[in-house]
Amino acid sequence: MGGVIGPESGGGTPNAEAIRSLYFLIFGLGVVVFVGVGGLLAYTLLKFRAKRGVEAKQTTGSTRLEVGWTVGAALILVLIALVTFIKLDQIKNPPNSSADGISSPINASFNPGPAKPDLPPNGRSLNINVNGQQYLWRYSYADADTNNLNNVFAYEQMVVPTNTTVSLRIRAQDVQHSWWIPELGGKFDAVPGYTNYTWFKITKPGVYDGQCAELCGRGHATMIASVKAVSPAEFKIWFAAQKAAIATAKQDAAMARNALLAKDAAAAKSAPSTPAAMAAPAPVAAIDGKKIFVAGVPASGALACGSCHALKDAGTNAAVGPNLDVVLKGQDAAMITASILYPNKIISKGYAKGIMPANYPTALTKAQLAALVKYINGAVNGK
Amino acid sequence: MTTTTSSARQTADPEIVVDSVQPPQSGWLSWLTTTDHKRIGIMYMVAAWMFLVIGGVEALLIRLQLAVPDNTLLSPQTYNALFTMHGTTMIFLFLMPMIAGMANYLVPLMIGARGMAFPKLNALTFWLFIAGGVVFYGSLLFSPPECGWTCYAPLSETAFSPSNGVDSWIFLIQLTGVASFIGALNMFVTITNMRAPGMSWGRVPLFVWTMLTQSMLLIISIPVIAGAVTLLLTDRHFGTHFYDPTNGGSPLLWQHLFWFFGHPEVYILILPGFGIISEIMPVFSRKPIFNYKAIVAATLGIAVIGTLVWAHHMFTVPLPFFLLIFFMLGTYLVAIPTGVKIFNWIFTMWSGAIEFPVAMLYALGFLATFLLGGITGIFLATFPVDWQLHDTYFVVAHLHYTVVGGAVFAMLAGIYYWFPKITGRMLDEKLGKISFVFTLVGFWVTFLIQHSAGLSGMPRRVYEYADVNNLGLYNMISTIGSFILALGVLLTIINIVKGVRSGAKAGPDPWKGNTLEWFTPSPPPVNNFDVVPRVRSVEPMQDIRRQVERQSRTAEEAGAAARR
Repeated sequence: MGGVIGPESGGGTPNAEAIRSLYFLIFGLGVVVFVGVGGLLAYTLLKFRAKRGVEAKQTTGSTRLEVGWTVGAALILVLIALVTFIKLDQIKNPPNSSADGISSPINASFNPGPAKPDLPPNGRSLNINVNGQQYLWRYSYADADTNNLNNVFAYEQMVVPTNTTVSLRIRAQDVQHSWWIPELGGKFDAVPGYTNYTWFKITKPGVYDGQCAELCGRGHATMIASVKAVSPAEFKIWFAAQKAAIATAKQDAAMARNALLAKDAAAAKSAPSTPAAMAAPAPVAAIDGKKIFVAGVPASGALACGSCHALKDAGTNAAVGPNLDVVLKGQDAAMITASILYPNKIISKGYAKGIMPANYPTALTKAQLAALVKYINGAVNGK
Repeated sequence: MTTTTSSARQTADPEIVVDSVQPPQSGWLSWLTTTDHKRIGIMYMVAAWMFLVIGGVEALLIRLQLAVPDNTLLSPQTYNALFTMHGTTMIFLFLMPMIAGMANYLVPLMIGARGMAFPKLNALTFWLFIAGGVVFYGSLLFSPPECGWTCYAPLSETAFSPSNGVDSWIFLIQLTGVASFIGALNMFVTITNMRAPGMSWGRVPLFVWTMLTQSMLLIISIPVIAGAVTLLLTDRHFGTHFYDPTNGGSPLLWQHLFWFFGHPEVYILILPGFGIISEIMPVFSRKPIFNYKAIVAATLGIAVIGTLVWAHHMFTVPLPFFLLIFFMLGTYLVAIPTGVKIFNWIFTMWSGAIEFPVAMLYALGFLATFLLGGITGIFLATFPVDWQLHDTYFVVAHLHYTVVGGAVFAMLAGIYYWFPKITGRMLDEKLGKISFVFTLVGFWVTFLIQHSAGLSGMPRRVYEYADVNNLGLYNMISTIGSFILALGVLLTIINIVKGVRSGAKAGPDPWKGNTLEWFTPSPPPVNNFDVVPRVRSVEPMQDIRRQVERQSRTAEEAGAAARR
């Protein structure tokens, strides 16, 4: 019946179950009121319809009745409020993880935000940062250092262990989104500039689906999310595998970029005139790389990097392409150069080919390219 | 006997003295330049119904897109533009002007005035409203807004909505907002100053009471939304960052300002509906309204508490916990006066002699529909439950049950009730009853199932959905219902067109009404009343009918005595 007359449930997390029972209390009272008042209305209409020879009784009111139904309505609401307050503890405050669950102290990269976070009594839970962006959810599993960029992460599907209290910090980087997995309790908006928080403790393994619940643009309907609950042992395996996969992908990407760059240099040697970027030497210092990043080179058709990429130093926060502060952290100038010249060869996880313009080899002069790379590298890595 | 007659002479006998109507000015220019509250009212209502047709077609397109899962009929861009235009049109270009039109036409007649306090300002409000509609629909030539009728920042900022659609939306809010604000001032001044002799506050018709309250709500809330959209405009074009979190602004500021207007707006739409029901129920039950004073008190109570509950639209954003509780309890509190009115209406009919013309049927449809809308409101007011239901089709269903089931059904009842007064002709009762059945059944089929769609995990404002949890079935039912509903509205439009052309002559008082508008011919002359009667109760026409009866009996007796 869940879904037809009441909210979905099934994950066994106590907050969702408490919300569901509160819902059904109100549902029951609502049915009684609807049937009662509707019945009274129907009876009145049948009994007092105009009949020949029957005059309407000219009553103008009754204070007793008026006070009666006002107090009656108030009492129903007082009852609902009382039950809400009783259930509130179960809805709001997370319990400790079970003995077989996974818990860790609150980690350094789990930014609590200005509001006092709700944590289990022993202060130990699995900590995940949830980040909403057009039109993707990113989850980063907090670790012990304050750097949020080296955490194990995943997109779209969050994998969590059962019997474990999972605390979420929910943020958005562009427009407002809303985190909602119906079977795991209520929704919590991801508001740019704010941190929202919630938690769940799943007892039944399974995949729980949800999606963004706040209009966030044309792709709102496709911004789906899911939570996959597995046993703590399986979770540990998944976590290690994910960590290794991310490290391997990073290495592969760096190698591929270097190879491309070498090939490019060879090509430039054999046919020095082909890419405009490789010709026309000019003093790098004279060209403003930041300006190219923010405004592009309109004359030659080079679009601004900042119109698609977020880069803190340049003050851009677009989310069409990956956040450069994140994906270029720890990379070298060669890799950055290759990524600008051959955007489709290496794609960051979660992004698609063919979106970034491929005209930079001809649209930028060699000096402009060098200045741009120098600026980006300096902005991201301080070099 | 002689003393009563002489005292009545001094204050002019209440009798119908106008029996012919001056030929009204004609030609389109006379409509463009009119300051007659009745003509302005008619223009408001006709324009509002044109926008109703546009907004209705948009709604049907939305329902067509959602009829089957993973539909590709409309692009996401078109779909987002459609629900933005639908919501904005129905609220700002249909319901608000429709209420303004009805009130413009009826309030001066009901209080025995010969016009509105500021006739030229009154004309200005109409043309500002038209300008707002033109500016808004002008965006069709470029790219319409896609941010929903709530236009949340930062989605509505230039970074994420670079097209001028949002600007046209802003100008619509400003133009219609100024119109509503001036109109509300005019209404307030008219009601407080221009009532017929003897019409003390305890004898003011309930529709007029609700319009007085509504105008106060507008005066309080319109400046806030006007300020909010102006800040958005400066954010978009003049380099400010009020709502831009990357520069120290706050998206929540927009939500607070918007809902500080947005929630009273619900009562701005629904209170006049309450007023219409409170006029129609007693007439067709042949009984006085049950507890007049309690209904007035509830109306004022709703206005006061209703301005203090706005953040129940924001239960899922990061708010301090005590605020969640404050706004939950505040919302419960406003539910009480809203809810108990239903009992007042039922007990108005209790032990009456109830007749069922189409106007009364729509009023009863209002009662049943609004009852469910009120009950689902309690679900949403309870914030942990709202965490599940917020921004889903459950909310879509709830808001349509209150705004369509409440405001629109009451307005349809009002149209069937006052059409004879406005045009001098009757609407077809039989066609009206058919339209009522289609409208009511269509409405319930469309929206009842949407509660289930929301509970099954379907968020609002999605252009496609996967076929899980029976969502395909629910949405197909809803789409079928929407076409039944549209047919019902179409039948009412046909009925109105037919009625204007060839309806039966109505006479001044076809329903045996209670209030002063039935004292003057239908349609009323330009000056409304040649003689304004002294008002002695909340049902002056009952008094007048009784007195006319008494006088004619005295005259008959005198005649009989003379003959004898």
